[in-house]
Amino acid sequence: MSQSEGNKTTVSNVKRESLWQKSFKKFLKDKTGVFSFLIVLVYLGIACLVWSGLVANQWDELLADGRFGPSAEYWFGTNINGQDVFQRTIFSTKTAFEVGLIVAILSSLIGAVGGAMSGFFSGTWVDELFLWVFGCLECIPFYLFVAAVAFALQDNPFAMHIAMISTFWTGTARLIRGEVIKLKNLEFVEAAHALGVHRAKIIFRHLLPNTTHIILVQASITFVAAIKSEVVLSFLGLGVKDGISWGLMISEASAEVASGIFNNFIAASGFMFVLVLAFNLFSDALQDALDPKKVSH
Amino acid sequence: MNVEPILKVKDLAVEFKTDKGTVRAINEISFEVFPNETLGIVGESGCGKSVSSLAVLGLIPSPPGEIVGGSIKFKGRELVGLSESDYRKIRGKDISMIFQEPLTALNPVLRVGKQMKDVLMRHQDLDDKEARKRAIEFLEAVGIPAPEKRIDEFPHQLSGGMRQRVMIAMALSCNPSLLLADEPTTALDVTTQAQVMSEINSLQKKFDTAVVLVTHDLGVIAETCQRVIVMYCGEIVEVGPVKDIFENPQHPYTQGLLRSIPVVRDKKISRLPTIDGTVPDLLNLPSGCRFSNRCSKVMDVCSQKSPKLEGQQHQAACFAIKESTGE
Repeated sequence: MSQSEGNKTTVSNVKRESLWQKSFKKFLKDKTGVFSFLIVLVYLGIACLVWSGLVANQWDELLADGRFGPSAEYWFGTNINGQDVFQRTIFSTKTAFEVGLIVAILSSLIGAVGGAMSGFFSGTWVDELFLWVFGCLECIPFYLFVAAVAFALQDNPFAMHIAMISTFWTGTARLIRGEVIKLKNLEFVEAAHALGVHRAKIIFRHLLPNTTHIILVQASITFVAAIKSEVVLSFLGLGVKDGISWGLMISEASAEVASGIFNNFIAASGFMFVLVLAFNLFSDALQDALDPKKVSH
Repeated sequence: MNVEPILKVKDLAVEFKTDKGTVRAINEISFEVFPNETLGIVGESGCGKSVSSLAVLGLIPSPPGEIVGGSIKFKGRELVGLSESDYRKIRGKDISMIFQEPLTALNPVLRVGKQMKDVLMRHQDLDDKEARKRAIEFLEAVGIPAPEKRIDEFPHQLSGGMRQRVMIAMALSCNPSLLLADEPTTALDVTTQAQVMSEINSLQKKFDTAVVLVTHDLGVIAETCQRVIVMYCGEIVEVGPVKDIFENPQHPYTQGLLRSIPVVRDKKISRLPTIDGTVPDLLNLPSGCRFSNRCSKVMDVCSQKSPKLEGQQHQAACFAIKESTGE
């Protein structure tokens, strides 16, 4: 067959580029995206160093004799207790990443599975139940809910995480539900049914991987939202219990700012601002790179 | 025919619940499929062709659809009311299906080979390596060049015709005794259509598979089928060997369908004959014969009773035939 010979030559010329490689290339072309990703990596590096105990291990110690301004020894100065503000700021990076990662990963997982289940069974009581749960969780005011969870789980260091996960997953779930409802009527799902593929396999193998782009972007958005919420919650005294975070530092600074002392305040909000901005730009770039309809320039 | 049919559908009725009321998409149809034969089901859009093939596989979307009566017997085993997990063992293994849209019938994020292996490993107890080997063999059998390379590609890297071949390979990979082909060539261009159809035909001979071909393309029916079912508004109006139907159509609807095929050799360029009127709304059917409001040979009795299929091998459901043969 001459036709098959013709096809053979084209086969060898076909560029074997997976969707991931394509997205990666597209991402690399986005200068802002790459730059902000590098900044996020620097933060991640700092967080890892803190985890390993190499830096900022004296954040809680009373090093100086009271409050001092920035100096060669204490870059950002010390607070009223004589603790090093720089070390506290650095240590807070770890706290932020801990909160961000735990909340982003868990709420995306729960949201993806919940959304896929509710979308797959749309029109049945399963979906009704999920929608009811989404609605209930969404109509509770966030800070009230956190306060309630914190109160219910007295002294549990993860009360804040639990509260955030249980409210943040519904956003992801709704998006995934919509996408799955769209996908489940496509023929490849019908074909999978017709070939005797198990329902669980259809959900986890055929439907969820088709929503990866949404899950990834949603996770990065949740990450930022979690870090920001942590700061607000810690400021209100509902957040981090043991350890230090940018929110706690800002809370400490609230008394100082009135008397013209800014080192705690600027250090904490500056660090947080750069991370949140970089991560937002990064998730924008990620969204563009993963969207097959957008062409990179 | 003294051969036992492998599929025996009797008085099958399927209803869909809509906002405006219950629609009976299939009204007590009965037909049989014999081993190794190709049975064509032809009719207009919305006449219940696809629904009847989906019903055989138990894939009527429920809700809103529901099988409300009749039986589907496959090799003597009743399929109506079978549990989901029992059905799953039959799908893909004993009865397989290929779909209209090859472009969307493969999962875009999984490699072709992965999807084929899934089916093989599920139904044939093969390990990963054997399944891969089998998948390559089948890709080769459906005429895909360089199958050992193609197997690792994503669906978007294949053309429409190739994707349909992959679907066929997947559907046949477990050697089913019945293949339901729901308009397998509608989305392909004419040259590819011919290739795909001949591929289905030769594989059918090779693997001894019976094929039910759902289509609205009479040309494809004439070329590939031994017997034809003509459907109208959820009912079978005529059944018979393909030659009889094409040479001597009995039902006015079949006659109208055949007249509406363009004849290229015709010197005079005239308007293509059509069947007057439109398909009635299934919620608002004419009483008696469902075709009566469009029929050229309509009589008084047509709006009072609905006709039954009559005849031996070639059956048609029409009162007008009785009249003409009776005289």
